[in-house]
Amino acid sequence: MAGFEHLLTALTPLNLAFALFGVVAGTVIGAIPGLTATMSVAVLVPLTFAMPTSSALILMGAIYTGAIYGGAYSAILLNTPGTPSAIATTFDGYPLAKKGDGDYAITIACLASVIGGLIGAVALMTLAPPLSEVALAFGPVEYFWLAIFGLSLIAALSEGSLIKGVAGGALGLLLSCIGVAEVAGDVRLTFGSQTMLSGIQIVAALIGLFCIPVLIDLVAQPGHHLKVDSGSRGFRLGEAVRYLWGDKINAVRSAVIGTVVGILPGAGGSIASLVSYSEAQRTAKPGQTYGKGEPGGIIASESANNATVGGGFIPTLVLGIPGTPPDAVILGALLVQGVRTGPSLFANQGEIVYTFIWGLILATILMLPTGLFIGRYAYRTIITLPKALLVPAIAFMTIIGSYAIRNNISDVIIMIVLGGFGWIIGRFGFTASPIVLGLILGPIAESGFVQAWTIGRATENQMGMFFGRPISIAIIVFTLFTLLSPFVLARLKKIKDRAHAD
Amino acid sequence: MQTDDRKDTGGAIISAVMIGIACLVIWDSLSYMDADSAVFPRTFAGVLIAASLAYIVMWLLGRAKAGAAPEGGSSARRMLLVAVMLGGTMAMPVVGFIGAALPVFAALTLIAMYDPWTRFRILVYPLIGTAIVLGFFYLFREVLLVPLPVGSLFDN
Repeated sequence: MAGFEHLLTALTPLNLAFALFGVVAGTVIGAIPGLTATMSVAVLVPLTFAMPTSSALILMGAIYTGAIYGGAYSAILLNTPGTPSAIATTFDGYPLAKKGDGDYAITIACLASVIGGLIGAVALMTLAPPLSEVALAFGPVEYFWLAIFGLSLIAALSEGSLIKGVAGGALGLLLSCIGVAEVAGDVRLTFGSQTMLSGIQIVAALIGLFCIPVLIDLVAQPGHHLKVDSGSRGFRLGEAVRYLWGDKINAVRSAVIGTVVGILPGAGGSIASLVSYSEAQRTAKPGQTYGKGEPGGIIASESANNATVGGGFIPTLVLGIPGTPPDAVILGALLVQGVRTGPSLFANQGEIVYTFIWGLILATILMLPTGLFIGRYAYRTIITLPKALLVPAIAFMTIIGSYAIRNNISDVIIMIVLGGFGWIIGRFGFTASPIVLGLILGPIAESGFVQAWTIGRATENQMGMFFGRPISIAIIVFTLFTLLSPFVLARLKKIKDRAHAD
Repeated sequence: MQTDDRKDTGGAIISAVMIGIACLVIWDSLSYMDADSAVFPRTFAGVLIAASLAYIVMWLLGRAKAGAAPEGGSSARRMLLVAVMLGGTMAMPVVGFIGAALPVFAALTLIAMYDPWTRFRILVYPLIGTAIVLGFFYLFREVLLVPLPVGSLFDN
């Protein structure tokens, strides 16, 4: 394997200690709603300036990978994705936890994250230059259609009505427009309110729409938050490994999807995990009930989002284009360290890059024991803490977490109001996931849409601009397939049933 | 069967609210100086109107399926939770972070409490609450260097 000789450099006790610290810190930070992977990496960047380059990169990579995994804890135990990339983990993680299998769900998430993280890192080591070409093939229109594809997936996956999912996605895109327009600078949809001027912060909205409805329902009734099992069942590692072995194709396929989607700048873990989840659901074996507590859903989501860590580094290192927001922070740190990203990076500064990639692999492996231990502790804490302490503790964390993102009280107010709104519309079948994804993808979608619209207007070929490019056409076909296939399949099933009855 | 399906009147009402929101977006977009700022919100306001109208038509045709019945429980506690969180947040710039967080924590403990208040709980719960608030205050202010509000009352 390329760069194998640099493994020993990464294996120094100091680097191992940094990797271990980074994974633990990242996992804990990622588990707290409001503290994202980007924030955890950004906070620690100044500490790394005085470190040797490879150690600094290993620490940042370990924090990043740990934080992405940590997001699964709150997704599974509180129905609140700790990071946006854990949205799809809530679909099956929370139902599993409600059944009393939260410990099992966390172990499955840990194993899947390790597999995804390793496959992403190996892809980074072996395939970085050719894979980075994929990112260059995507123009603004393709990014617009990719965002729409992501929304169509979540609309189709939303429990209940597809139309409600589409409406939720469109509402999310409109909410992302609030504040000062990035393209032309107009103040939009604030209606004179100072609170709305800075727009809706994505993580604050995510906390509000996912976490506040859980809190609202939690206080309404007595009884435990999650079903409490009798006696200790350990990590349930054997059970989880057996399930994972039976679903290995799902794990590997999701990791490959995560790696490829991670390469596309801006797309990130949320789209990767949704695409993988959708694929897992499409290829479900008989008896697998996705959306109702199927461990395969957690495998798809967690394997994919951890694979985006390695995948996202591919354009970051080879092209200097950050694949995900934490990559952008790490790119800044790389420049401070004197590392020049670009196609010649692997040849000119191979020692640093390969040591970093080995460090990432070691950090991912270290995530297995640390993730299992921290997960067990988090699970026991959540299920044994009395409701009278759990509710104020979570509510307090949502407030401080939302405030800390931009040091802005308005974000906290918007978070709580959106939470109340989310709870009301949730009672009528409008789920939070499409709205949040619309908010996340809004800036990418708008930037691509407006650029394509402007170019199309200038060249007097708007239809060709939106519908005439090969990659765009492929994404549009996938989108239509996602939206129409449930109807077509239901119709076919009806015809088949009728034929059987006759 | 169709009579049951018609029961998703709530979904149809929310769809009508969505149409109202979309119309508000289009109305707001008329005031933008640059067409580039308006094209995206107008397009997706159109998508929102189309999807919401489609749902209302489905409801009128009796094809809108109502989901599982929502959970019951105490509405008063639900509303109190949101009101306390909102009130505490709005008070933060005036009374400061700790000045708002401690009463909010205490109030939410009372709202979420269903078990009887034993002597142990009366003693231990406030201690745990105070430890959580002060612990996070220290973590965010001193370690993560987040400038938590001091409060205009204590500014001088």
